[in-house]
Amino acid sequence: MMKNGFLFFIGLLAAFVFGWGGIALGSHLQLGALAPYYDDGEGSTFPARPQGLASRGQLVYADLGCASCHTQQVRRPDFGSDKDRGWGERQSVARDYIHQVRPQLGESRTGPDLANLAGRKAPYDGAELTQFLYTGIVPGTRVLNHPPYKFLFDERKIDGEVSANALALPASLAPAAGRQIVAGERARTLVAYLQSLNTPYEFPEARPVTPAASAKEGAHK
Amino acid sequence: MSSPSTTAEVTAADTAGRWPLLLLLASGLVWLVLSGVLALIASIQLHSPGFLADCESLTHGRVTALAETTFIYGWAANTGLGVALWVLGRLGGAPLRALNWAVVGTLFWNTGLSLGLVGIATGDATSFALLEMPRYVQPLLVAAYVAIGVSGILAWNGRRTDGTFASQWYAVAALILFPWLLIAAQTMLLWSPVRGVLQAVVNGWYVQSAFSLWLAPLALAGAYYVVPKATGRTLPSYDFASLSFWTLLFVGALTGGRHLIGGPVPAWIPTLANASCTMLLFHYAVVALNLRGAFSGGGTALRFISFGLVAYLLGAVLDAVTAFRGVALVTQFTYFATAQQQLALYGGISMFLFGSLYFAVPRLTGRAWASAALVRGHLALAMFGVLLLVVTLAAAGWTQGHDLNHAATSFADIAAHTRPWLLGATAAQASLLLGNLLLLVNFAISVSSVCCSAPAENSFRQPSTMEAHAS
Amino acid sequence: MSTPSHQDPRLDQATASDESLLAAHEKLVGKQPDEKARYQLLPLNLLFIFSGLIFFAGTYLNRYSGLFDPKIYNENELPGTGGPVAVKVDTLVLGKKQYEAICITCHQATGLGQPGVYPPLAASEWVTGSEERLVRLVLYGLNGPIKVNGVDYNGAMPAVGKVAGSGYNLSDDKVAAVLTYVRQQWGNTAGPITTEQVAAIRSKEGDRKAYVAQELLKFQ
Repeated sequence: MMKNGFLFFIGLLAAFVFGWGGIALGSHLQLGALAPYYDDGEGSTFPARPQGLASRGQLVYADLGCASCHTQQVRRPDFGSDKDRGWGERQSVARDYIHQVRPQLGESRTGPDLANLAGRKAPYDGAELTQFLYTGIVPGTRVLNHPPYKFLFDERKIDGEVSANALALPASLAPAAGRQIVAGERARTLVAYLQSLNTPYEFPEARPVTPAASAKEGAHK
Repeated sequence: MSSPSTTAEVTAADTAGRWPLLLLLASGLVWLVLSGVLALIASIQLHSPGFLADCESLTHGRVTALAETTFIYGWAANTGLGVALWVLGRLGGAPLRALNWAVVGTLFWNTGLSLGLVGIATGDATSFALLEMPRYVQPLLVAAYVAIGVSGILAWNGRRTDGTFASQWYAVAALILFPWLLIAAQTMLLWSPVRGVLQAVVNGWYVQSAFSLWLAPLALAGAYYVVPKATGRTLPSYDFASLSFWTLLFVGALTGGRHLIGGPVPAWIPTLANASCTMLLFHYAVVALNLRGAFSGGGTALRFISFGLVAYLLGAVLDAVTAFRGVALVTQFTYFATAQQQLALYGGISMFLFGSLYFAVPRLTGRAWASAALVRGHLALAMFGVLLLVVTLAAAGWTQGHDLNHAATSFADIAAHTRPWLLGATAAQASLLLGNLLLLVNFAISVSSVCCSAPAENSFRQPSTMEAHAS
Repeated sequence: MSTPSHQDPRLDQATASDESLLAAHEKLVGKQPDEKARYQLLPLNLLFIFSGLIFFAGTYLNRYSGLFDPKIYNENELPGTGGPVAVKVDTLVLGKKQYEAICITCHQATGLGQPGVYPPLAASEWVTGSEERLVRLVLYGLNGPIKVNGVDYNGAMPAVGKVAGSGYNLSDDKVAAVLTYVRQQWGNTAGPITTEQVAAIRSKEGDRKAYVAQELLKFQ
């Protein structure tokens, strides 16, 4: 086989098709046609389709590379501290993402998970999130623990009334008198996206395992 | 030493391929230094989030993507291709053909890469790992890669001897498989995207395949050639090399789901990855047996390759261990995963490539490297840098993982706990960057001496004949 | 073989030619018997390790893959055992939903109807009384005069069930749910109506027009 060029080529082809078929194509055949879940009681389908502003915000999220520090995938309650940190009551499942153009699962939790940011018990409101993007300081603390993305904002002269999108900054960060910091379009769509992140519906496949079945958890680890 | 004869060490094949191959290697080194600068910026941002935060093109996400893209498609691809073509030419026994294709391909590859980097910096990044470059440059990359690969395939098909050697298998596999991979991945992710989480699955498959079916074969092609050449011994347990080769190719891609443990994909995807990671250990065990001669010899190339071999094996063991869910519970989503990636890409692949580079360049230029001090400096800084980088990132990741699992620990506290380690990682990046600058300078001087001065004397010893003996 | 102790780091010497490298390794894997009779079988220990790894991978895959079921997210589950069970929607929630979608327009959120126009459901003997009567009324509708709690009403109640001429076509379980809901709301304490009861009556009566009150009073 290693001497015959043709056989060698066939071997390479087989190896490629084996891996590609096993993972990429196999999962596509299994999940590619996953449909939204129709709940009879609620009389509507889940997950809900994202709104236009939020969809545009997802593109901003993607091209700034937010996924390099934030995941958007909640693990099941008995696996890790995701539930205890208030990131979600249930595990994220494939159906949560079917309407997303470019799901941002992420691989790193340098920052918190955002899959349920808008559904948390103590969520930040839009104004706080906008200000956080500008200052990089988590509301209620004093430490800089996020890059301040000032380029998403414009500093403008106050011309008559203060803009509806202007930030209410503390004195130490406020611009000079007579000027204001206004959230640009990308900041606004990004915040709209962050405020749309919520997976409230409990799909049947996402329900936690019954205790009996998880008794052997960790036995083979 | 004796005058060149038919078995002379520097052959007509080397002089014919000199400039096209040196062009590939030079491009690789320039990108390596650039990626070092970008990685340094990204590393600083991890402990000082305000660093360059106002610079829109260098948000942490973008600069990470830029560093990764430059490293893989700039450094590893150019250098790996240069080494693979050189090995195929030498073992083919004749000067490489279609080298003008390779030159044009190299120019287009690097043009496409530059455009892709500009695209990432200006907001066109795709947000897929290892496939961050916008889709408008992707077809160009495929075409350029094929153009470069043509000479290698011609050398393989036109080889003088009937028998083949492991280096040739790995080199040919990398040349043939990568265009398929890139086409399949960009079709399923960029041109006609699959739905929802399938994008993450396909992306995972691509990342793992790019390592197992492309980068690792490129690096092994060089290592499998240099080790017996430099030691003068046949490879031990060589009869298993082909089984090891096919294990890597068939099983490697199946480990694609190992970053999706606990994620929103059916359990079989990470479980398959987990089982495959363990299965793949066979490949690594055989590579270790085959290349263990690297530890016995001196010389620059073997020092790099033996370091690379340890890192390559350690990376595989860590991959297999962290693929188990109990361990992933701590290491997943943390700097530990970054440490593993750096161990495999920098410790494994790059060190193999450095070794091959140090062996190949004198034969392409017809003279020794310009400066011994720069060689020693690079060796020391690179080894120190990789060690420090992997150790600090792993420690940071382990701390971070335990903190994350402790729900009461806030993210501000996690940042404070990991900060000392991340400062160490930044120092490691600086060391690597400095070492690579030394290599680039040494390379520039060595190559420029070809144009400016005639070779002083033939310093190449004439190689003897290798005996097949069981070892 | 000798390795110079002070090798020039600038140049790695080759100690074997390319031709001999190819030939020597080809000989190692060559099928021709070794002339010195030192031909070795493949080392058994490596083959043993290879088979062991295959065995482990296969076993592990079998145990923790959820049998490749797309709905299994927890590797410890198997399809059908301890996995997700389809949970019944709470009947009262479902019933309330139907009531608020359909009945509420006439009978009001209070269940009191509109005096003189739409009869009340709260404390109505029609609601809390005979199940046979109530199910028929709601499935097929009612035309003409009807006496509720001693008050005369005259109107038309549309068919709600999945019967010919119905504008709502509610499935049997939804009819059962909404009836259970009204029988336990506003102080009513009658027992639930099951889907099976509704289904049985619907199949017994088939397609028919709306009832008049006299017909219904025959059912006890």
